[in-house]
Parts: sequence; C-alpha cells; structure tokens
Amino acid sequence: MESVNHLETSEMVLNMGPQHPSTHGVLRLVLKLDGERVKAVECVIGYLHRGVEKIGENRTYTQFAPYVDRMDYISAVSNGLGYCLAVEGLIGVEAPPRAQIVRVIFAELNRIASHLLWLGTSALDLGAMTALFYCLREREEVLKIFENYCGARLTTHAFRIGGLQYELHDTFEAETRAFSEMFKKRLDEYDQLLTNNPIWIERLKGVGILTAEECKSWGVSGPMIRAAGLAWDLRKAQPYSGYDQFDFDIPTRQGADSYDRYLVRIDEMRQSLRIIDQALEKIPSGAIMAKVPKVLKPPPGEVYVSIEAPKGELGYYIVSDGSLHPYRLRVRPPSFINLASLEKMAVGALVADVVAIIGTIDIVLGEVDR
Amino acid sequence: MLETIKRIFLLDLLQGLWVTFKMQRTSNITTEEYPKEIPKIGERYRGAPRLNINPDNSETLCIGCDLCAKACPENLIVVGTERNKETRRLDLTYFTYDLSRCMFCGLCEDACPVDALELTQDFEMASYTREGLIWDRQMLEEGPRPTKYTR
Amino acid sequence: MATEAWEDSLSGHLHSKFAQAILKTESFRGQPFAETTPSEFHNVVVFLRDDHAFDYLCDLTALDYPKDEARFELVAILYSFTHNRRVRIKTRFPESFHPQSLSDVYLAANWLEREIFDMFGIHFAGHPNLKRILMPDDWQGFPLRKEVNILDMDQSWVQNNLGIESGQ
Ligand code: SF4
Ligand code: SF4
Repeated sequence: MESVNHLETSEMVLNMGPQHPSTHGVLRLVLKLDGERVKAVECVIGYLHRGVEKIGENRTYTQFAPYVDRMDYISAVSNGLGYCLAVEGLIGVEAPPRAQIVRVIFAELNRIASHLLWLGTSALDLGAMTALFYCLREREEVLKIFENYCGARLTTHAFRIGGLQYELHDTFEAETRAFSEMFKKRLDEYDQLLTNNPIWIERLKGVGILTAEECKSWGVSGPMIRAAGLAWDLRKAQPYSGYDQFDFDIPTRQGADSYDRYLVRIDEMRQSLRIIDQALEKIPSGAIMAKVPKVLKPPPGEVYVSIEAPKGELGYYIVSDGSLHPYRLRVRPPSFINLASLEKMAVGALVADVVAIIGTIDIVLGEVDR
Repeated sequence: MLETIKRIFLLDLLQGLWVTFKMQRTSNITTEEYPKEIPKIGERYRGAPRLNINPDNSETLCIGCDLCAKACPENLIVVGTERNKETRRLDLTYFTYDLSRCMFCGLCEDACPVDALELTQDFEMASYTREGLIWDRQMLEEGPRPTKYTR
Repeated sequence: MATEAWEDSLSGHLHSKFAQAILKTESFRGQPFAETTPSEFHNVVVFLRDDHAFDYLCDLTALDYPKDEARFELVAILYSFTHNRRVRIKTRFPESFHPQSLSDVYLAANWLEREIFDMFGIHFAGHPNLKRILMPDDWQGFPLRKEVNILDMDQSWVQNNLGIESGQ
C-alpha cells in the first residue's frame, strides 16, 4: 500500500460565476487555486455588454441621455450628470446656477444611495445579513425623492443637456431635510452594527491591499484610492457643477485595505449629507434651463469631461464632427478599470477573501460591460 | 484591560445586536404589502403610456405631428396619419407603441406639443407575450387592464 | 475643429525633446492635446510619465476613420496628480500598423488595450494577453468600426421578431 505521503497536490481551476451571489451580477472569475490560496485569477466579463458606445454613435445627443442611466444603474444620476456636463462642454454652455445646485443635491443623494447598496450587499456577502435590510430601507427613501422629482427610481433621466427638465416638486425640501435628519442617526447605527464588529474587522482588515502607487498604475480611482491615503477627489481637484461653493472634506485612510475602503465610504456618506445640507440652504431661484437649441448640433471638436461618480472617475470623451450624432462617444467606466486591479489584489488571498475584495471594489457589471 | 473585557463579553457584537433588537417595534416595519395594497406612486411617475382624448367630445387630442416618434431613441412609436380633405388637418389613423422596447425615458412625452401622449402612474402592464406589449391606439386610449386576482 | 494653439512649458518640452515627432499641439475648450507620429507614441507617453509626473492613465481609446489612409486614431488621456492637469496624446496610423503596447508603462492599459482590440481590431505589439474582453471569443468583426451598422441589425430584428415596421 502506498503511504499517504505519496498523495500529490495539484492546482485546481475553479470557476466562480457568472451566476454567483457574491459577484454582484454576471462576473465570472477563473481562479487558479493551490488549496485555499489563489495563485492567479482571470476575470471573464462581457455578459452584460450592450454596446453603449456604439449606440451613442447612432443617436442624437438628446436621445442618448437615457442610455447612460443604464450603465451604472445604481447611480444613474451621476452618469446623467457626467454626460450632460460633457455635452455642455462641447457646445459651450453652462447650466444656470439653480440647475447646478439642484444637480449637486441629486448627485449627492445618489452617492448615498449607491454607497448604501454597496454596504448592504457587500455585508451580505460576508454574512452580515441585517445590514442589507437597513441599507435598502434607507435607500428607498432616496429613491422616493427621485421618483417624486423625475418620475423614475433607478433609471432617472433626471437632467437634460443645458439644465433640468423638471422644476423641483413642492415637497422636495421637506423630504430631503427629513431624510438628512433621519440618515445621520442611521449612519451611527451602521457604525454600531459593523465598524467595531470583530467578525467584520477580521474579514476585512488587511485583505485586498492596493497601495497608492499601485492604484495610480492600475488607474484605480474613487474610494479605493482614497483608502490608500491619496486625497484625490475630482469634486475638489477639478470642481464642476458648483462643487467649489461647498465646504466638505475628502475622507482618507492609510491602510489601503478593504476595511479602510469601508470606512472611507461611510465617511463619504457623512460628507454627502454635509453638502446636501448646505445646498438646501442656498438653492437660488431663477431659470433651470440654459439656452440650448432644440436640434443639438455641436461644432466639430472633442472634449473629455469627468466627474467623481460614487465608484470613481467617470469620464466621457465625446468627439463631434459637427453632425447630429457624436462621431465617437467613449465612456471611461470606473468599475471596469477598478475591476482590472482584482487580478493583482486577489493573488495570494483566500477564496473567501476574494468575495470580500470584489465587494469592496464596488463594481456594477452594467458599467463594467456597458 | 478594557479591551479584554470587551473581547470576552463580545461587547461590540452585543452593541450591534442591540441595534437589531430595536427594530422589533412594529412602527419600524416598512414593508409594503404590494398586491394587497397598491403603493402610492409619485405624481410624475413615468409608467404606462396613454393617448389622451378630449373629455368633451371623446376625440383624440393627438394632431398626428409625429414629433414623439422622432424624439424616441428606440424609435418604437409609429404614427399613421391621413390628410383630411375637408378640414385640411391630419387625422390619426393608427398609433402603435411597442412597450417591449420602451425604456420610459419620457422624451416622447416631453416632445408632444399638445400633451396628447402621456406616461401615467400605471405600472401594471406585464404581459405573457411580446406581442401583448405592442399597444395599439385603442389600448393606449383605454389604458391597461391588469387581471384582478382574488383569493 | 476650431482649435487654438497649445503653448506652455509642457508643449515646449515636448517639441524640444521630440522635434519632428510631435505633429501638432493644440487645445480645444481649454483641453490640450498633442499628436505624435505612431512610432514615437510610446516614447512620448513614457517621457510624460517619467519627466512630467503624468502617472495616471485615465483612459486609452481609439477612433475609426474608415475613409482615411491612416484609419485609426489612438488617444491616451493622461493625468498628473502633481500638477492636477490632463493632456491627451493622439496618434494616427493605418490598419497594418501595430502600435506598441502601453501595458508596460501603466498596468491600466492592459484591459483598455484588450477592449480596443476587441472593438476596433487594433493589434498592440508586446501586449501580454491580447484577446477579446467584452465580446464573445468567437465573435466575428469589430463592433466599433464604422462599417458595422447596428441600425440595420435593429431594424431586421424588430421586423423578424415583432412583425411591426418600427425600428431604427
Ligand atoms: S418613453 Fe422613451 S423609449 Fe419609451 S416611447 Fe417614449 S421616448 Fe421612446
Ligand atoms: S407628439 Fe403628440 S400630437 Fe404629435 S403625434 Fe405624438 S402624440 Fe400625437
């Protein structure tokens, strides 16, 4: 009989997804495993590819606006904001001050909604089920404000090129103030629920480290790069839509691991509330729509405009040849580029940690695949 | 020392459990009992389309200008018109609206100069077939009739 | 394009360092961009990263001009954390040319170049793993090239599957 010592170990290839509860959509990972350790990982994406960029070349500028909502469908408002700013940059108009402030409020509400869904789902991945229910409950309040304002909860199509389509509804201020009041307390509850929870800390501390230098090289942006200690936020670095009028901080951490990304996002929600509170105080009156021709025909040219979306730097590179349709409409998707760094972070981690790492990258497959 | 006590008695965990426990109060329940209770929908909600008719003479408000069809990114509206010899206006002959490809963006509604086409608060428009989602003029004027289920 | 000349110390450095290889330095709506010869593209990007702290590749993308001899345009959008500014570096080349991969300069270029290959069929020389990323592996053609017409595809899909005339 051969002794047990002769049993050989070999590497195993494991397919995770595309239908897997913790991959947040249809992401497939091919993991090369040595026991529990990941030796290599390859992301297989494209299951949700709809060719948004190609669609953009075949629609007029106005018609394309609703499609951007469907990329990162968790934060449709930010997508719409980026797109409107890009086209406005191309034709050289600026939204009126009232529209700008309203846009900021909605973008920040959306950031909260996005981070909430992130918090809920990634906590669920790691076994903390209750957080999901609370997060969804609070997110519902944000979605209700969206619904009352523009008539849709997720794919909002809230902004138009040149300003806003809808005037604020009567109850808007009261609703938003009530939300902001309520949410401050709720954030403290999340803190009690998770921040010091030993299991939560154990699962996230030191997992998925990506230093600032690596972040730069991988093109990673958003909360991930801030968790690596780089206070880089486009709202401050290259303010758009009147963000320079507000007083807020860029939360950063030094640990560069999953736990710090969690803390950064929680802090970001607090900062968003600060911005919302300030903005509510100073919504100017006046027009909500700049003078934009009905038939939009930008001059030949090209612009790259990027905003700080909840997931990172969301950029639009639009090339116009002077016709009704964009000649090229490129979206710089934060999720896509952030996800690429998984191939670095997951190496050497445990299989269970891969779940945590995917969670804290905060991807939306609709945006990864476009 | 404090750390050890915290660890032994799992104080941090208990703190979290306390948060969960507080949610026991019935006033904290926020679940909507959907089919039993129809939820309150926002006034501007963009749901099932409707082609408005003039309440006085039940004629359609649509003037057949085709602007909605031109505005739609998915190009799913087809407006059929005929020039009326007497009034020299366009008469609507048919109107198809393919809900199966609609994304409820509201661009058609914004484009309509006479507010004939409107996205209403109706959201129950499921159908068993794709064909069932292609609405004709009659359907658009009367609105969807969702099956009422009772126990 | 109603562009203005881009003249500051950075464009001056580019000109003095690469001379003939910089075809133009212009700006539109305050956003500067430079066009280089395809063979120097890689070197220009490395120069900007090493000597001018453009250490972040925002985006790398391509455009298709099927009517021109130099059919493809490659655009790299670079950002510098130190100077808080963006520049775009572009280059034009025909289909037969294989630009050198930037994946040794920025790790982010790895996936971005795969996407460009997937969408335009541009081959990057020296890319470690150049294969399709978004489209299925057995897909024929390159979707973002101008000859691919999705409107016709849409139209026939609607006619075949829904039996109605509307469609793009
Ligand atoms: S809501 Fe949008 S997609 Fe639907 S018919 Fe109107 S314009 Fe077209
Ligand atoms: S835009 Fe209004 S009036 Fe014109 S065809 Fe459409 S529904 Fe009729």
